[in-house]
Order: sequence, then C-alpha cells, then structure tokens
Amino acid sequence: MTMDTTADRDSAADRGTTTPTTDADGITDTIVDGIRTVLAPRSGPLTAGLLFRVGRADETLATSGITHLVEHLALHRHGLGDLHYNGATAATYTHFHVTGTPADVVEYLNGVCAALRDLPMDRLDTEKEILRTEAAGKSHGPGHAATLWRYGSRSYGLTAYAEAGLHHLTADDVRTWARTRFTAENAVLWITGDRIPEGLDLKLPAGAWHPTPAATSALPVTPAYFAGDDGGVVLTAVVPRSTEAGLFAEVLGKELFRELRQKSGYSYTATADYAPRDTDYATVIAYADALPQKQDALVGAFVDVFAKLRAGRIDQADLDAVRASALAQFDTPELAACMLPGHAMNLLVRHRNLTAAEARAEIEAVTVADLHRVARAVWADALMQVPGRGVDWAGLTAAPAESSEVVTGRRYSALEEGNGALIVADDGISLSAPRGRVTIRYAECTLLQVYPDGGRHLVGGDGFTLTVEPTLYRITAAELARLDAAVPPASVVRMPPRDPGRVPQPRKTTPKAEPGTARHAWFTVLLWVLGIPAVVLGGFTALSAFVATQASRDDGIPPEDARFLLACLIVSAVFVVPWGLLLRRRQQGLN
Amino acid sequence: MITGHMIRRVSAHPPLGRPVFEPADRIPALTALRGHVHGRNWDSVAGSFAALTDEDDRALACRVVAEQQNAEPFLNQVMAGDPRDPLVRTLLADRLIQTGWGIRSGYRARHVSREQFQQFHAFLRRAEVLLIDVCAEYPDHALAWYLRVITSRGLELGPGETRRRYERLAEHHPHHYSGQQQLLQQICPKWGGTWESAHGFAEECAKAAPPGSPNGALVAVAQLERYLELREKEGDRAAGTYLRTPGAHQALLDAAARSVLHPAARADAYQLVGAHSAFAAAHCAAGRHAEAAAHFRALGDRASEFPWSYVGSHDHEAEFVRHRKTALAKG
Repeated sequence: MTMDTTADRDSAADRGTTTPTTDADGITDTIVDGIRTVLAPRSGPLTAGLLFRVGRADETLATSGITHLVEHLALHRHGLGDLHYNGATAATYTHFHVTGTPADVVEYLNGVCAALRDLPMDRLDTEKEILRTEAAGKSHGPGHAATLWRYGSRSYGLTAYAEAGLHHLTADDVRTWARTRFTAENAVLWITGDRIPEGLDLKLPAGAWHPTPAATSALPVTPAYFAGDDGGVVLTAVVPRSTEAGLFAEVLGKELFRELRQKSGYSYTATADYAPRDTDYATVIAYADALPQKQDALVGAFVDVFAKLRAGRIDQADLDAVRASALAQFDTPELAACMLPGHAMNLLVRHRNLTAAEARAEIEAVTVADLHRVARAVWADALMQVPGRGVDWAGLTAAPAESSEVVTGRRYSALEEGNGALIVADDGISLSAPRGRVTIRYAECTLLQVYPDGGRHLVGGDGFTLTVEPTLYRITAAELARLDAAVPPASVVRMPPRDPGRVPQPRKTTPKAEPGTARHAWFTVLLWVLGIPAVVLGGFTALSAFVATQASRDDGIPPEDARFLLACLIVSAVFVVPWGLLLRRRQQGLN
Repeated sequence: MITGHMIRRVSAHPPLGRPVFEPADRIPALTALRGHVHGRNWDSVAGSFAALTDEDDRALACRVVAEQQNAEPFLNQVMAGDPRDPLVRTLLADRLIQTGWGIRSGYRARHVSREQFQQFHAFLRRAEVLLIDVCAEYPDHALAWYLRVITSRGLELGPGETRRRYERLAEHHPHHYSGQQQLLQQICPKWGGTWESAHGFAEECAKAAPPGSPNGALVAVAQLERYLELREKEGDRAAGTYLRTPGAHQALLDAAARSVLHPAARADAYQLVGAHSAFAAAHCAAGRHAEAAAHFRALGDRASEFPWSYVGSHDHEAEFVRHRKTALAKG
C-alpha cells in the first residue's frame, strides 16, 4: 500500500487531494494506490466498500451481464469462510464490500483487486452458469417493468432484461471490460476507520473515470401509462436529484398509505420511494397493490392522490413529520461513518456532497411550496403501470404498444392463418399481424440472437421484440443471412442449439376432418384439366423462348417471334395462374 | 301539518293543464339562470348558484346550464379568464357530459355504434380531466364529485370506482339524492350490479336521510328500474305482478311517508317533482291509481320526464296526463 503523497499519478494530482484532508463531519479524504478513498472512524469491526463506476446501464443488450460476470470472477477466490462480504452489480455501480477485522478487510480487498488485475478465466463458463441460475431465481421490485417502457433496451432499461451477453462473451471481452472499467480512476474506496489498514495492495490498471450513462427514451409523451400484468399500480417519474424530491417521496408514501390502506382498505402495501438514478437525476416510485375486485377503485384513488398533491393540498403536518424523520437520521453516534457509503457514492458519480450541517439546513428549508413543485414535476414525467383498462381518462397517454410504421419490402406470410406476415426491407424488418405490428430497424437493433435451427430473435432500441421462426413463416435462408449481415455486428449473439421441443411449429390444423373441406372429386378433375395444358403450354413457351434467345444472340429477337412468344405466354398464363391458385388451396387442405 | 295539506289542496285546485316537464320552465330561479347563460352573464350565473344552499337544488341548476346548447363557448371563455374557478370548470364538465351522452343516445349499449362510443368517451374524458382537478382542490365539492359518479359509469371505469366516487361525495354530503340516483344506476343489473344491491342501497339511503327529504324516492326508482327490465324480458304482465307484490307495495308506502309525503318535506325543493313522479309512476304501473293521487295532487302541472318515459308507451307527456286523470278520478 502506498499513501499517495508523491502525486506520482497524474489523475491523483488532478484531484488535488494528495494530502489527506478531513471535513467538518470528520470524513477524511485521501488516495490509496491511486484510488480516491474516504475514511471515518467507527467502533466495532471494520467495514469497507470498493465502488466502481460501472454497472448494467453501461452495457449494451448484447454485452449485458459482463459487469456482473467481472464481479463474480473477482469474488471467486472468496468462496468459503466466515467473512461477511458481498458484491453487488447495480445499474450505475459495482460494489465490493466487507466487514471484519482489519486483516480480513485487507485480505478481501487485496483479493478483489488481484482478481481484477488477472481474472480467473478458467472459471468463466462456471460463473456464466451461476449467473443464469441467479437470474432464474431473482425477484424484481415493482418498478422493474417500467424501466423497459421508459428507456427501451438501452441505458437504464437494461436492468429489465436478462443478461443476454452471457451466451457469447469471451474471455477477451471480459478482460477488456475489466481493464477499462475496473480501474483506479473509476473507483472509490470507503473504510470505517481513522486510518488505512496496514498491508493494502489495491493496484489496478490505470484508466479513466466514466460519467453515468445518458438516459435513452422509449416514451414519446408523458404522463403515460401501460397495462401491467400484476394487480398493483406503479408510478415512476424521473426528477432532478434534490432534498425536496426526497422529502416529497416520503410525503407521497404517507398520503398513499393513508388514502389507499387506512381510509379505503383497497391496498395492503401502499408506499413511495426516492432512488438516485445517476449524477443528476432520481427516480420517484409509488406503488400500491390491490385485490382483483378492488383494482378499479385503487386506480381511481391513486390518480386522486396525485391530483391532490399536484393541486398543492399538502399538509404542513406531513412535511413536518417527514422532515423530523429525515433530521433524526443525523442524531446518531458516529455520524460520519454512517454517512460514509453515501459520501463515497456521491464521489463516484460526482454528485455534490453536503456536510451534515448543510444537509440539515436544506431539509429545514423545504416548504410545502417546494413539495408542490416536485409533485407537478413528478406527474409531468409520470409513467404509470395499471391493471386492466388504461388511464387515458385521467389525462395520460398510452405508451406505444406497437410500432408506428412497417417497412416496405418483401413479404413472407405465415404458414398459419392469423399470424400475419414478415416484411423484410434493406434497413429493417416488420411483423404485421392482427395482434399488432412491430418494426425493428437494423441500425437500432440492440440484440439479434441467432439460433442454429434458423430462428432469429431481434430486440429494437425501443424495446420491441420480433421473433423470426422459419418454421412459422415462409422466409428463406438467404433472406435470413441478409438480415444477419444488416444488423450491427456488435448486436449479434450466436446462440447454442435449442431443445427441438422449443422450436415452435405451426399448429396442426386438420381442416380435412371438418365438413365441407374434404378432397372433392370435381376439384381433382379441375386440377388435372388446368394442370395438363398448364404444364404443356408452359413448357412449350419456355422452350420457344430459350430457342429464340439462343438463335438471335446478337441482334435481338425478331418482332414476329417476340409477338408469338408473348401470345404463348398469355395463353400459358390463362392455365398456369388458376392452376397454381387451386393447387395452393389443395395443399392447404381447403378443397 | 295543516300547511302541507293546504298546499296540496291549492295546487290541485286550478284546472289541470298541460304538464310542464322542463325545470327551467317551472322554477323561476332556473328560468332566470337559463337567461343568464344565454345572456353570457357569468356574474349572475355564479350568483344564482351562490343563492342555492341545497346541493340537490344545485345539481338540477347545473343540469339546466349544461343542457343549453350554446353553453360551451360561454363557459370556455369564462374559464379562460379564471382558470381556477371551480364552478365554471364543473359546469363546463357537465356540458361536455351532456354533449357526450347526447351522442351516445339513451339506448342500451348494444344499439350504440363503436364510433358513437368513441366520441362519447372522448367528451367524458375531457370532463373528467376538469373534474379530477376540481375534486383535488375542493374535496367537498358536491357537484364535481356527483358528476364524477356519472363519468365513471359512462367511461366504464368499474363499479368499485363509481362507488368510491360516491363515497367521496357522501363523505361531505351523506344524503346527496342526485348522486345516490347515479350510483343506483351503476348498481342495477344493466350496469353490472344486482337487484339485491340496488334495492338494498335505495332502502339504506331512504332510511338514513332526514324526514321529508326526497331520498325515499330511490325506493320507487329501484322498483321502476326492475319493472322496466321485466317489461323488456318477460312482458307487461310479469312486470306489473312484481310491482304488486306486498313487499314492494309496502316499501313504497313507507318510503313515501318518510320522504315526500312527510310534513317536513320542503315544498320548493327542486327534486320534489322528480321524487313525487317516481312514486306516482310506480303506483300507476302497479295499477294502484288511487294511491298515486296524493303524489299527483302535489305535482299539479309539474312533472319530470323520468320516470314517465319508463311506463306504457314511453311517451312521457301522454303517460303522465293519462295516469294523472285516472288517479285523480279515483283518489
């Protein structure tokens, strides 16, 4: 371990913290092996956290899971033992944390950094498998589905998706990710102690700090809503991070609980939360559940709670109560140590850090008018997930549930009626079916999963998905190859073979068994009557055309021959076209 | 006691003329209000409402404004000048509801086209957005909550939501007869309810209301709703048989005695005409014209379209005149 006093690393010098400084609350700011480090003393065992400014929102859908994979590989060596430690991969950060004796902490952090320097790639496949198992058993919070509707399949929307990159990420991909993101400049370390424990060796590759990713949007208009499949109501909104927005969420939670549970009994859970999303913005989430027979009233009451707050009917008593709770958090022994993880997180994303006195003063200064302003901002950006019918009646717009356009191109109809058709153009693909239409422009395609059996699964940046199954549509292998080539290579994931049972097959409709759809004898006769001349005339025309073109290679076909060929073509068509149509009906089992 | 008796005598005395159905033609304050709307005189409109202390009177006044064909531009203009005024927003919302319901027409859902439904819902949504804010800003605003009971039913938000809105209304106005009539519609089978809940609710409201208030007429309305459904499904005979059951008969008499026939009934209550009409129509449809006479005497030439459009030929004026004649001859 080197206490970085010599400014031997440029980036450390840039930060101007080459000598440890301690702020008013007793948080000491220093550098350890080039890593920005904050310390605050606390009694009892030592706790430490190593934060990296990289998370799921930094990935793409085709690399999704790569950060989580690095986290797992870095922790692999800490498999057994009684040490209390963990790792977490969130949307914007990865956190390694540990509690124990100074020696435990040193061993853990040294181990994590050693692994990050040289990831145990022999474990790659096993850890991928573990991650898939972890995903299968994971339960999601109420705001989960909304991220996909709000952000699409990029940035903060990625947390709504399975870790699709796990299928194809190579050791090189993972190493490169670790080398560029798990760097000293992109990390912050916090330790509850008054000094750096002896023996730390946290050397990491040099790199750069990465700002939190810019948010993408799949919502043309807000406030908006979408139909959710569980019985609850969820409202999310993104607002600038602020003290008053945090207090607003508390007041909102109180109001929801009072109105939806205590007063009406529609809900068991009725709550609200405020969660910083990135450097500048936070997400306000309101959630309430309901029994099926109370869902309609719950939605109405939920809308009215927001209308009330938006109208500025916010009780001073509610504000005073949440203010008191917020201030009470500062009435704790060893305050600096309690503030430490949050302080470190703010350093990580470069959000302002307030001293306890400054934070208290901001909380004290919040007025009902401030909360009223936040209430209006929350509603203006709201995305509401509702059970059953929509909430257009409350002035919200339906979030897009289908693409606004279809491409113009070659059409491949479904083998089965009612499944519509695939339309393939040079720049995109559409599915046009009675259920709705989906278009994915190749340039916007964030994931193309290619199955050896021919199946293709595409995800657009807006979150729409389209599955191409050659078993269900009359699409050719050549067309599929063109599609593969048109999608950005970084979005293409070659998948392992599927269980044949999972390859969809058209439903076996047996129209022959139905009355009126038997093979009629008259239809068979008609097929022959049309078929024989069709084949003979068609063959003759084709042969004549061949002979004519061979005979007059240089000076074109003589006009009289051309007229003759045209006449042959027309006569042939008279037989070939109806024959073809009837033949198709027979193949479909209709006659 | 004597006063009530005299009023009945007095109103029965003049020779019976053509019945007046339109409230604005038979209630002077509403005649004036209608004039203020046509004269685009907002201060007088607001003054008319300020003069009305009874919420059920205000509900009928609101309907008179909302039924004026030219009210929308006037109310929009007033709202532009004072966007926070709750009354103008509420009146405009009711105008939109009336326009929407006019497009939907009064027929049962199966006779209404998809396009009509879309337009109907679009008008109700415009009304609803105004009403959400008024109710949020003035949680005890009876008119706005009453109208939201109507929009909930029209927009098919669900019986739970319609009841929630009624409960928010009843929280501050526990005997809002107009609101109760609207919820009664929702809990009738035609809008997804049951007869048990409809009769139960009507009885409950009738019993809870102060003596002399019109709420008892809900008992008659529930019976007439059921009568109408039976007429459509099983014919006039079955429908009449239902109304003649001793239980239904007694419930009607008890409710009338507690409400419109009670000495405490306020003679100038705007809803009194509709309430008497409901009792009279129920008795007439049951063939008990003598028992309808007291209600007809109270009505004189005043009448309401509902429920006379439910009985006989559906021609409310002809039915009213015919039954009044028979009833007064017998009773």
